[in-house]
Amino acid sequence: MYIELKNINKSYGSFKASDNVGFGIEKGKLVALLGPSGSGKTTILRMIAGLERPDSGEIIIDGKVVNNVPASERGIGFVFQSYALFRYMTVYDNIAFGLTVRKQNKKEIKERVTELIELIGLKGFEKRYPSQLSGGQRQRVAFARALAPNPQVLLLDEPFAAIDAKVRSELRKWLRDMIHQLGVTGIFVTHDQDEAIEVSDEIIVTNHGRIEQTGTPADIYINPTTAFTSSFFGTTSELTDYKLFNSFDDVGEYDKAIIRPEFVRVTKKNENQKYEKSAVEGVVTDLQFRGNSYELTVNCNNSRFSARRGLDEPAVEIGEKVDVFIFRLFITQGNTVRLLKNNAIREETVII
Amino acid sequence: MAAEKTERVMPREGSTEIHADTKGSKAVRIILITLSVLFLFIMLVMPLITVIYESFRKGFGEYLKAVTDDETVGALLLTLEATVIAVIINTVFGLFAAWAISKFRFRGKKFLVTLIDLPVTVSPIIAGLIFVLTFGRQSFLYSYLEEIDFMIVYAVPGIILATVFVTFPFISREILPVLEAQGTDEEEAAALMGARSFTIFRKITLPHIKWALIYGIVLCAARAMGEFGAVSVLSGHLRGKTVTLPLQVEILFGDNKYMPAFAVSSILMIMAVVILIVRSIVEFIGRRKGEE
Repeated sequence: MYIELKNINKSYGSFKASDNVGFGIEKGKLVALLGPSGSGKTTILRMIAGLERPDSGEIIIDGKVVNNVPASERGIGFVFQSYALFRYMTVYDNIAFGLTVRKQNKKEIKERVTELIELIGLKGFEKRYPSQLSGGQRQRVAFARALAPNPQVLLLDEPFAAIDAKVRSELRKWLRDMIHQLGVTGIFVTHDQDEAIEVSDEIIVTNHGRIEQTGTPADIYINPTTAFTSSFFGTTSELTDYKLFNSFDDVGEYDKAIIRPEFVRVTKKNENQKYEKSAVEGVVTDLQFRGNSYELTVNCNNSRFSARRGLDEPAVEIGEKVDVFIFRLFITQGNTVRLLKNNAIREETVII
Repeated sequence: MAAEKTERVMPREGSTEIHADTKGSKAVRIILITLSVLFLFIMLVMPLITVIYESFRKGFGEYLKAVTDDETVGALLLTLEATVIAVIINTVFGLFAAWAISKFRFRGKKFLVTLIDLPVTVSPIIAGLIFVLTFGRQSFLYSYLEEIDFMIVYAVPGIILATVFVTFPFISREILPVLEAQGTDEEEAAALMGARSFTIFRKITLPHIKWALIYGIVLCAARAMGEFGAVSVLSGHLRGKTVTLPLQVEILFGDNKYMPAFAVSSILMIMAVVILIVRSIVEFIGRRKGEE
């Protein structure tokens, strides 16, 4: 493990920002710290950077305990949420700052800064001030500035929060490629699950100051292990009583039955429904065009949930009676989750 | 204030027709402008003209004699001395206070902010009395001060002390909002890259507060030069020794020397006008820089 946190605790007054936090990150990986606001993800990032001190526990970077190493000597680049570009310095001076304060010679600084400005594609903008740049350009400058002193670790606090949607997806790809290309270890904080899934190699899910789950994006999405992660990813809905839907095992006592749109198949009455026997009747109460699909809201057995239908499938209308089949659902019991598959599918696989 | 008000009324005149609904009728406009101009004339322009007229009533020779009088020159130098020292002290402490308040979280912060404003709310006379009671004959400190032969009350240090006290909030009050709006991100970023505190202050904080600081210094200097109340209590009016320009005006006026009193006033007036011009320039440049 290149970066390791062991039993980290941190409180602000009576607020517990980190509650026995521990995880490890391999060298060269890009990791997302994902959680709702107030879940303690930024605190973790700031503690790794050395901007905050943990009350107890160890932070290890490259085999060394760095708790008492000042921020400037940890070999870390930090990109602030607001970028924190020096507004009274040009793009060039901003990127050169970290090298200038280290008293490197002018020629080396010039080479490095020129190289970085080319890397971020802002050649010709050297003499501009941050206020004369667009959001995306500022982000790139902040990125270059953090990378200038050749850090081994790059930390990014909500790097895409202040950028409009179209530039954002472009920058996400750019950032991902850049970090892998440079071989630095990156950690970024985000509250946006799509962003975490799209950009990171690994996700660390935080909630109430604790680590809920760590794993690859696919792993966390498909196999949530805690009640929180099962409802955090995707557009989840809750079923009031899953036993009213056909062909699920009875698990006894449970807290919540959670489904995602992709767990549901909605068909028109005259359409062929493969699992007709296990389908139940529902009513479409809302219909929204999503570009690549329609999102339906369905009222069924006193539950309200969303489902999707492709654009090439026969159209449904609001108020239409439809057949609803649920493939699988997450059942939470306390803080544990189990995935429940519809028995209709299981029987079929047995037959084949 | 005078220059500011007229400036802001005038450029809008051309656009009144476009926004006629929001600006009221033409009659209202004329009445308001006339009233403002009349008010400014009676309250500001007329007294200024009177000062100049009275100063030169007996001719330029007499005016020159009045302003080059030894006591007056002494008063002018003392005023400048007190002003310069007050500005330096208040710049240093104003920066410290503003820095501490905006960048750190600590107990009693609100109280400190209120305390900084105290000199504005306390009457200068009372401020003067406080120092007389603290450092004067009644005070237990007096014997120590006498031992080291350092007199505060009825001496120059007292005048400087009073000036510093009265002008204390001007600089920190100007810097504080700018520092608070800036936050600590840029400083943190610089510190992370290994910059030392002084480098951070010089390269990141100072460029940011530069114009607010200069503006605060100008205001502080203006207030320091004109300070009368607190200084009057602490001065003891020892002619040629502890008399500042405003006190000199009072003394001359009390002696029924009207012409010299007006002549000395005109020096203060000229200094005020110079500061007003400097202020306008600073404000103009500062605003233009801010827009960039």
